[in-house]
Amino acid sequence: MAVRTIEVRERVMAKNDEIAATVRRQLHEAGIAALNLVSSPGSGKTTLLERTLDALGDELRISIVTGDVQTQNDADRLAQRTPRLVQAVVTNGACHLDARQVQTALAAIDLGETDLLFIENVGNLVCPANWDLGEDAKVVLFSVTEGEDKPLKYPRMFHESRVAVLTKIDLLPYVPFDVDRAVMFARRVNPDLRFFFTSALTGAGMAEWFGFLRDQARTGAHATP
Amino acid sequence: MAEAHLQPGAVGQLRAVCVEVGDDANVEVENFRFCLEALLDAPPFAGAVPTIVTRPGPDLRLAYLEVDDGRSDD
Repeated sequence: MAVRTIEVRERVMAKNDEIAATVRRQLHEAGIAALNLVSSPGSGKTTLLERTLDALGDELRISIVTGDVQTQNDADRLAQRTPRLVQAVVTNGACHLDARQVQTALAAIDLGETDLLFIENVGNLVCPANWDLGEDAKVVLFSVTEGEDKPLKYPRMFHESRVAVLTKIDLLPYVPFDVDRAVMFARRVNPDLRFFFTSALTGAGMAEWFGFLRDQARTGAHATP
Repeated sequence: MAEAHLQPGAVGQLRAVCVEVGDDANVEVENFRFCLEALLDAPPFAGAVPTIVTRPGPDLRLAYLEVDDGRSDD
């Protein structure tokens, strides 16, 4: 008798990446720009999307898929701001969205009537970095209450993202947060990272964010943040 | 993945599983080892020995499987 060795050498993520490629192709063919919003819990993803729907909802056809471990609270909040379907994915304990969940969620969305797709990922700065969902770009949010060293503590997330949004900047007078150091740390991990500095409460920096989104929607899947 | 690479019904013949963990894979090796050991401690994989090898890079790979399929040595 002999023990035989079967060489596999297969990436554990290979199946997910295969589905993500299908999703990406589907979105490109429909001319949809897709952004995957990632952050720690409470950094303001849903609030940023609420303000975005308020400002651009009549101008752009925005579709949204939300991911939460439990509850569809985020989807319910966003559904108050748009007549369009907001697709909620409840992961039942999983700490990230995967490409199959997004593919399933997109089946209920009229892609022919969509300019811009947001995927609001589960709040987590670790695992979502590993999962390609078929998006054009990951957008990482972090707030001024989280500490400026987040990019150094969670480098892969900042490395995988093409855009960073620093949120809650209205709180800067009250917290010991050094914006220049935060940007320096982030660019140390990813020199090409594009930054936005926003307050959804006061509206500071939101015009630049909206302008970026208009550009993304205009150029569709060919967008390069 | 193991089932996909084995003959139908051969899962019980699995003797070892080797996984390569990239040092940028965002995987904590000892936590992963705990999970893999727990997985291989119960049916249908009970009895298979886990091996974890660390490598440079971002990938998490199933490297190889060892199977005792009852066939005589060549």
